Amino acid sequence: MLVIINAFKSISRSKGRNILIGIIVLAIAASSCIALAIRNAADDAEAVGLESVSITGTISVDRQKLIEENGGGGRGDMSQMRELMERYKDLELDELLIYSDSAYVKDFNYSSSTALNATGELKAYGSEDNADNDSDNVFVSPEGGMVARGGGPGGGGGGMRGGRAIMVGRALTIGDFTVTGYSSEEAMTKFMNSTASIKEGEMFDIASDDMTCLISDVLAYTNGLSVGDSIVLANPNYDSDDEDIDENGDDEDIANEDNAEDNAYGENAGEYTFTIVGIYTDTSSGEVNDMPMFSTAQDPANLICVSYPSLSAVIENSIENEITGTDDWGTETTTALTDTLSSSFIFADKGDYDSFTEELTAKGLSEYYVLTSSNLNNYESSVIPLRNLSAFATTMLFIILAIGAVILVVINVFNIRERKYEVGVLTAIGIKKGKVAMQFVTELLCVTLSAIIIGTVVGAVISVPVSNNLLATQIERAEDEALNQAQSFGRPGGGPISFDGGGGGGRVMSFSSFGGGENERISYLETVNASVNLMILAQLILIGIGLTLVSSLAAVIFVMRYEPLKILANRA
Amino acid sequence: MNENYVTFTDVVREYRTGSVPVRAANGITFNLQKGKLNIIVGPSGAGKTTVLNILGGMDSATSGKVTVDGRDISRLSKREICTYRRDDVGFVFQFYNLIPNLTALENVELASQIRKDAFDPRTVLEDVGLGHRLGNFPAQLSGGEQQRVAIARAIAKNPKLLLCDEPTGALDYETGKSILQLLQDVCRIKGVTVVVITHNSAVMPIADRVIKIKSGKVKAILHNDNPTPVSDIEW
Ligand SMILES: Nc1ncnc2c1ncn2[C@@H]1O[C@H](COP(=O)(O)OP(=O)(O)OP(=O)(O)O)[C@@H](O)[C@H]1O
Ligand SMILES: [Mg+2]
Repeated sequence: MLVIINAFKSISRSKGRNILIGIIVLAIAASSCIALAIRNAADDAEAVGLESVSITGTISVDRQKLIEENGGGGRGDMSQMRELMERYKDLELDELLIYSDSAYVKDFNYSSSTALNATGELKAYGSEDNADNDSDNVFVSPEGGMVARGGGPGGGGGGMRGGRAIMVGRALTIGDFTVTGYSSEEAMTKFMNSTASIKEGEMFDIASDDMTCLISDVLAYTNGLSVGDSIVLANPNYDSDDEDIDENGDDEDIANEDNAEDNAYGENAGEYTFTIVGIYTDTSSGEVNDMPMFSTAQDPANLICVSYPSLSAVIENSIENEITGTDDWGTETTTALTDTLSSSFIFADKGDYDSFTEELTAKGLSEYYVLTSSNLNNYESSVIPLRNLSAFATTMLFIILAIGAVILVVINVFNIRERKYEVGVLTAIGIKKGKVAMQFVTELLCVTLSAIIIGTVVGAVISVPVSNNLLATQIERAEDEALNQAQSFGRPGGGPISFDGGGGGGRVMSFSSFGGGENERISYLETVNASVNLMILAQLILIGIGLTLVSSLAAVIFVMRYEPLKILANRA
Repeated sequence: MNENYVTFTDVVREYRTGSVPVRAANGITFNLQKGKLNIIVGPSGAGKTTVLNILGGMDSATSGKVTVDGRDISRLSKREICTYRRDDVGFVFQFYNLIPNLTALENVELASQIRKDAFDPRTVLEDVGLGHRLGNFPAQLSGGEQQRVAIARAIAKNPKLLLCDEPTGALDYETGKSILQLLQDVCRIKGVTVVVITHNSAVMPIADRVIKIKSGKVKAILHNDNPTPVSDIEW
C-alpha cells in the first residue's frame, strides 16, 4: 500500500522523466500494434481467401501404383495388369456418396455425361462438313481416353474419369451431342469460373428431372432454336429410323443388324424430349477447335446441360428398354446408354483435405485408390503472399520488441542511477531495498501500462486503414468471383446474396453471410477491426508487462548494488 | 544497564583504499547512558563521523564490539542491520539528505510510514518550527530549514538513538541554538539517547557526557552532572 502511494507520489512529482519513458513505450506499443494488426489482418485475409478458394479433390484409381505392383516399367505381365485394372475400377456414385458423408467434406458434387444423337431437323454444330457420317458412327475405343476427354464443362474441376463402358472394353457409340447432368451448380465449373454464362432464359431446376436443358448459343443459332423450344434427342445405340441411314455404314456398324427390329419398341423408343429453358455463351469454345475431334459431341457448342436427375432418368429408361446381342467378334452389345461420371469433393482447407485422405484409408478405401486435387497447388500459392506478410509482420514485431526492451532497460538503468541518492536516503532510514525496488517497479509499471494503452489506441487508429485495405482487397476479390458466378447463371448481378436461392453451397455460402449491400459489407469490415483490436490489446498488455518486468529487473539489480553510506558519502 | 546503554569496545575501522591503510577508528572504547545528551568533539578527520556511522548501523567495524541496549550490533546480518536502522535509529546526516521530490511533510511521513509507534509528522514539524512550511519541497527551503526537516524526520521515528552529524554546522547562531534546544528537549522530554557531533567546543556544557576524539582514538571522556540549558550558553 505504502509502496503504491509513494510510487504515485513519485510519478506525479517527476513528470519529465516519466513522460520520456512514456513516449518511448508509446512508440514501441504503437509500432508493435501496427505490426500485430498487419499480422492479424493478413491472417484474416488469408481466412477470407480460404473461404473463397476451396480445394477440389477426386478419388481415382492409382494407376501408378497398379503399374508398380505389376513389376513396374514395361516388363510387367500385361494380362495381369489388365486383371488388376479390371478389379480396381473407378468408384460408383453410391460408394462415393458414402465417402462424401464426412465432416471434412464441405461439399460433394458430380456430373455425368452421355452422348445422344440429333433427330429430325436438329443438327449438331459442325456436322455439316462431314454430312451424316457422324451420326451413326461407332468408335471403338478400348483405351477410352479420347472419349473421356471430351467432357465439356464437367471436366474442369473434377478430373474426368474414363467411362464405365470403356472399362469393360466395349465399343462406345459416339453421338452428336454430349448431354451432361449436374448434381449442383458447383459441378458446372465453366459457369463457376465464368468462362460460360447464361445470356438468355434461365437456369434449369438442378434438383428436378423435368427434362429442361441449357444449350449453347452456337447450337441455338445453327438450328434457329430459342428459349421454350423443345429438342428431341435419340439414343445412338438404336438404329435410328430417320433419313440418316447411312450409305457407308453397313460393314462398320454391326449394331445396325441387331437393331433392325428396334422399331418394334415403338417410334419413340430411345428418344428423349428436352425443353430449352436457357441459352448460354461459352467463351472458351474457340480453344477446343484445334484439337482433333472424333465426334461433334466433343465440340463444346454441342454440350447440352441438364440436371443430374434428368440425365439419370434418360439412362434408366435406356436400361429398362435395353436390347442385348452379340457382335461378330463375340462381344456382348447392348442398347443401354452408358455415362461417364465426374465427381469432386470440395474441402474448406488443406487440413480438411489431408484429414479426409486419412479418413478414406480408415474407412477401408483400397490402397489402389488415391485422392488427388488439381487446384491444391493453386490454393497454396494464393495464400503465400499473405503468409509472407504475416511472417514479415511477426519478424518486425520481434525486432521492435527486442529494440524496445533494450531501450527500456537502458532508460531504467539511467533512471535508477539518477535516483541513486533517493535509494541511499530511503535505505539509510531503514527502508528495505526490496521495498524500494518494488516502488520503482510499480512506478514503471504504471507509466508503461498507461503508455501501452495510449500507444495501442494510436497504433490501432493508424493500422485500421492498413489492415482494412488488406482485407478489402481480399474481400473484393472474393466478392467479384461470387458476383461473376451469379451472373453466369443469369441472375441479377445485385451481389452474392442473390445466390442464396440457387441452393449454392460451398464457397458461395461463405459470402451470403455478409450480404450484397454496401452497408453490410462495411459492417463486416468493422467487426473484423473490433475483434483484432481486442486481441491486440490483450497481447500488447502481456508484452508490456513482460518488457516492464525485464527492465525492472535491471532496476532491482542496480538498487541492490548500492550501499547507503557509499551513496551518501559520494554525494557529499 | 543504564550506564552501559551504548558500549564501544576497542572498535577499529580500517579503510584500504590507498596504498597505506587508513585507520579512521583505531581502538575506540566508551559507553553512553540511556536518555542522555552526548557530544562527540574532535578536529577534522579525527574519526567522529566514522564512529557515528558504526553506531547508526550505516557502517560496520573492522574489529571490536558495539552494543546497543545489550544487543551486539557488530554481529548483525545486513537484513538485521536494516531493521535496526529502521526501528532503533534516527539519523541526521551532515548534508540533510532529504528526498527532493517529496515535500517537507512527506519527507517526515517517510518515518511514520515505516514505524508503527512514530510521532505525528505535523506535530514534530511544528516542534522544529516549520508548521507553516509543510507543503514546501526541499529546494524551496533554506539550509537551516532543510536541516530541521531532517531532524524532524529522525525524531518522528521515535528512535532509541538519535544521531546527529554536525546539525548546526550550516546554521547561524540563533537557528543553531534552537536546534540544540530541540535536541536537548527530545532527550529530556522523550527520554531518547542523543549523540551529537560538533566542532564547536562552546556547546560542550549542554551535554551530559562529552567524548573527545583525536586521530581515531578517544582522547578524553568528560562527565557533566549538571548540564547547562541551551538558552544559557553563548558562542
Ligand atoms: N570511505 C573512506 N575511505 C577512505 N578513507 C576514509 C573514508 N571515510 C573516512 N576516511 C578517512 O577516515 C578519517 C576519519 O574520517 P571521518 O569522516 O570520520 O572524520 P571526521 O572526524 O568526521 O571529520 P570532519 O569533522 O571533517 O567531518 C579521515 O582521515 C578520512 O580521510
Ligand atoms: Mg564528519
